[in-house]
Amino acid sequence: MVESGTVAAASQTVELAIKASNAYQRPGLAARAERALARLRHSDVRVLVVGEFKQGKSQLINAMVNAPVCPVDDDVATAVPTVVRYAPEPTVNIVRGKRSEDGENVVLQDPVRVPIEKLAEHVSEAGNPGNRENLQYAEVGIPRRVLENGLELVDTPGVGGLGSAHGSATMAVLPTADAILLVSDAANEYTRPELEFLRQAARLCPNVACVLSKTDLYPEWRRISELNRGHLQVMGIADAELLPVSSTLRLHAVAGEDSALNAESGYPELMTFLRDRVLGQQAELASRATGNDVVAIAEQLAASMRSELEVLQDPDQAEAKVEALRSAKDRASALKDRTARWQQTLNDGIADLNADIDYDLRDRMREIIRESELDLDAVGDPQPVWEQFSEDVYQRVAAATSANFLWTSERVQWLAGQVAGLFAEDGAEALPELHIGSSELLSTVQEMQLPTGEKFGVGQKAMSGLRGGYIGTLMFGMMSTFAGFALLNPLSAVAGVLMGGKTVRDEKHRVIERRRSEAKAALRRYIDEVQFQVGTESREMLRKLQRELRDHFTAQAEELGRSLQESVRAAENAMRADENDRTQRATDLRAELERITNLEKMGRELIPSGQTL
Amino acid sequence: MAAAASLSAVARGVLRRAVEAYRDHPETVRWLHDQLERIDAPLRVAVAGQVKAGKSTLLNALVGEMMAATDAAECTRVVTWYSYSDRTRLMLHTTDGQAHTLPVTRRGGKLIVDLGGTAVDDVDRIMVDWPSQSLRPATLIDTPGIGSMTTENSARSTAFLVPEDAPTPADAVLYLMRHLHATDLGFLEAFGDRNLATAAAVNAIGVLSRADEIGAGRLDALSSARRIAGRYRGDPRLQGLCQDVVAVAGLLAQAGRSLRQDEFQAFQALAAAERQDTDAMMLSADRFLGSGSSPDDILPLESRGMLMERFGIFGVRLATMLVRQGRNSPQALAGELIQRSGLRELQDTLTHQFTERRDLLKARSALLGLDSVLRQNAPPQARPLLGEVERILSGAHEFAELRLLTALRSATVTLPADYRTEAEQLLGAGGTSPQRRLGLDGSADPDTLREAGLDALDRWRRRSENPVLSRGARDAARTVVRSCEGMLHTLTDR
Repeated sequence: MVESGTVAAASQTVELAIKASNAYQRPGLAARAERALARLRHSDVRVLVVGEFKQGKSQLINAMVNAPVCPVDDDVATAVPTVVRYAPEPTVNIVRGKRSEDGENVVLQDPVRVPIEKLAEHVSEAGNPGNRENLQYAEVGIPRRVLENGLELVDTPGVGGLGSAHGSATMAVLPTADAILLVSDAANEYTRPELEFLRQAARLCPNVACVLSKTDLYPEWRRISELNRGHLQVMGIADAELLPVSSTLRLHAVAGEDSALNAESGYPELMTFLRDRVLGQQAELASRATGNDVVAIAEQLAASMRSELEVLQDPDQAEAKVEALRSAKDRASALKDRTARWQQTLNDGIADLNADIDYDLRDRMREIIRESELDLDAVGDPQPVWEQFSEDVYQRVAAATSANFLWTSERVQWLAGQVAGLFAEDGAEALPELHIGSSELLSTVQEMQLPTGEKFGVGQKAMSGLRGGYIGTLMFGMMSTFAGFALLNPLSAVAGVLMGGKTVRDEKHRVIERRRSEAKAALRRYIDEVQFQVGTESREMLRKLQRELRDHFTAQAEELGRSLQESVRAAENAMRADENDRTQRATDLRAELERITNLEKMGRELIPSGQTL
Repeated sequence: MAAAASLSAVARGVLRRAVEAYRDHPETVRWLHDQLERIDAPLRVAVAGQVKAGKSTLLNALVGEMMAATDAAECTRVVTWYSYSDRTRLMLHTTDGQAHTLPVTRRGGKLIVDLGGTAVDDVDRIMVDWPSQSLRPATLIDTPGIGSMTTENSARSTAFLVPEDAPTPADAVLYLMRHLHATDLGFLEAFGDRNLATAAAVNAIGVLSRADEIGAGRLDALSSARRIAGRYRGDPRLQGLCQDVVAVAGLLAQAGRSLRQDEFQAFQALAAAERQDTDAMMLSADRFLGSGSSPDDILPLESRGMLMERFGIFGVRLATMLVRQGRNSPQALAGELIQRSGLRELQDTLTHQFTERRDLLKARSALLGLDSVLRQNAPPQARPLLGEVERILSGAHEFAELRLLTALRSATVTLPADYRTEAEQLLGAGGTSPQRRLGLDGSADPDTLREAGLDALDRWRRRSENPVLSRGARDAARTVVRSCEGMLHTLTDR
């Protein structure tokens, strides 16, 4: 659980709201409160540790949790992403991937428990070179206080190494992270690829921190740190935190319980960043969303009581009041109609998005084909460079799909915001007395961000995200399909040799021509496949999004309708009551209303000032 | 080798004929004359690599003096040539072809280059003439880092080392890397030749520089670095791109080659102090440079700062340990530091791979350059030369050896594993002297050499006719046979 204080308060308030909703027989509102509670309880915070290889990523995690959970080595060490999270006792699970029946996707298999001391054999480059075991990721659970809050540290294989397909996989999981730590050692200032990475990461993730590692080795680390700050400024990511640390000192400090040395290691600042910025922000966000929910629930509960009370206090106006409520109820049910503005915007928006995204993808893919074909023409014989060429194509495709995805998620968020705005506007116009707000919107849109990232998904801890998710699985699943295309027909080569003599040269030329056209055909088939798969995925994602947004707002409209229905009923009851009952009822109602108002106040307290939606 | 000398002669001959053919093109003639001079001049070895790979530091270590400016931030901004001359001179060449002499100033042993108001962008190169024996066999060229934050610096290096339209001015390259990065592979590929008719991989050596930093500054870092270099050496992706990979701790080598008396005394003071005090001090660079009564008693801050700058935390730890173990003179300490830094291995590799082959490498650069000139623009009377250059490149046995070496390493031609090792050796992968080719030590007498040579010749002749081997393998064996014949020829000549 995130930052226990805030969250505990929020949970208590939500539990009160559930009780109240049940007491007044409003199951819809109770369900909304239950959802808020579930969100509060499952707020794991994923921190991705990324960087080029040999920068000390694994050691950073080891020093954070003070346990040798990630294997380190002088040579390239990490081959498989490793997730470190809390567990009451040490456990290690590994998750293998298996090609699906159609050979196009990688399916995650069930986690396999392995002895802790065997972890290195599976995740390190030495024990599992080039990840030949085809592991998708490993999970390490250890009992550590720092992890108790739901903090989840992910060690990733270094970017830029020789087996550098890792890079695109890392890019693909970035959006699922709550925070990203880019580790770069103090030996030199940022290189261009590192800054490029940072800039993209900053777009994908709200909290990016730059960790400057190995400060114990480099006397000039302060200067490097200044230079890096300058680079960040130029890149327009000046608000990214820059944290100089030394894992060696930290491990020494913890072993010798030396607090001065610990302070020198820079770890206290790193931990503070994680606690205050990352966990704290998460807690704040969770409690803000919860607060909005509680306020909305309380207001809807109070609505019927208020109308009843008004009628009781002013019987002469009763008729008019009931009439007003009835027409408000009609307006509320009009909110769920297909003709409501938000519905139209949603439907049009999704249709537009579908077309735009598809066009964008096609455009990018066409560009890749064009560039790659030019490359093929330039090299002459494609066979000797095939491996490198296909690597190039993967990289380009990865970059293009990432960009397409990024753009999609930005537009999706914008659309969701637009729809929520319209709903709130129309709702407020129809029912000025109710707090309709975009209560759940904050968290809804966050969930929408990544339909396949199961950040909030209850129970679904399988995290197909690492190496997987939207782009990952797709890329990795199809790579070998592409590589496997028979480029060279063995017969044609033999024929070339047999002819011998003076025709060999011509024949060789023709062989090369043929190989080149086969290579182009393979390229086009691959791109076609990618386009189909990615297109299907994004249509699927948009469809899901549309449905969820529609259901969400329809449910809200219905719940509003019910509140008004209740109000009408209460007002009518009040009209029928006699003088004595009226006084009695009014006293009761005031007491109840006070309790509800109290709940609303508690809800408002969860929302940091000025943040009410 | 006599044959290689004749290759220079052949190259010279073609160039002279080209001068004749291009007499109406003064600019080309000037360029051709440059190439002719280049054949007689020392080999040009460029030191290249990513930003902060330690290029200038290694260059200083090789020269044995603090010449190239080094700094924690990216600092080499222009291409700088260091060549041997009996007097010191500093020349600045601008991009518009002019040359100015710059004043030579040294501060604290370091050479200070003051561009004298010329903008960095206008500088083509700086030429440093320096009376150092280490520069005799080869001119060293310092280049700005690739992958630099300053794109212009990076572009300057790439334009120099891998020009788009002209042959590269360097005959060979020492490629420095902290770890092997995908960018490094890309560079090596571009520097090696795209033209498969010539040979790649022959003119590059990979250096795992900053080896001292590999194991988080532990004392066994260097053996770790050697292990990693060994792995890279065996990596098929690198084998086709460079001859060898060597691990060197540049900072250690640089400090070792220029160790001063006062530095040695400072280490004596450290070694004399209580072990637990020095251990606490050397925990981190910050601690070593921190103030406090205990460090101040051992060594004044100023000396500590100097040691840190010159040796790095690893060097300080290592040198203190060495003095404690009884290296009790500056010479002994310097010798041990250089020994451990891996500089000797690098120098050996340089000698065997580059210096012994310098005539071949220079002739190759000249011929490739001429080839590209001829292809761009050849007057009618120069056209026959194109065919001739091509014939030399594809016909000369020295090039055939290089091509086969490359083919074996990139597995385009495959031989059975035990044949392959021997073939590479005979083709001169480890050096082109008969001793090296036959894998005998330098003291072997001519009779032993001839006998071993005849054995090898006999063996490979049989292999070249072995029907079980593939056609490609038999062709390869024939090339090895020719190498054996050439070697025996030189042995008999003596």
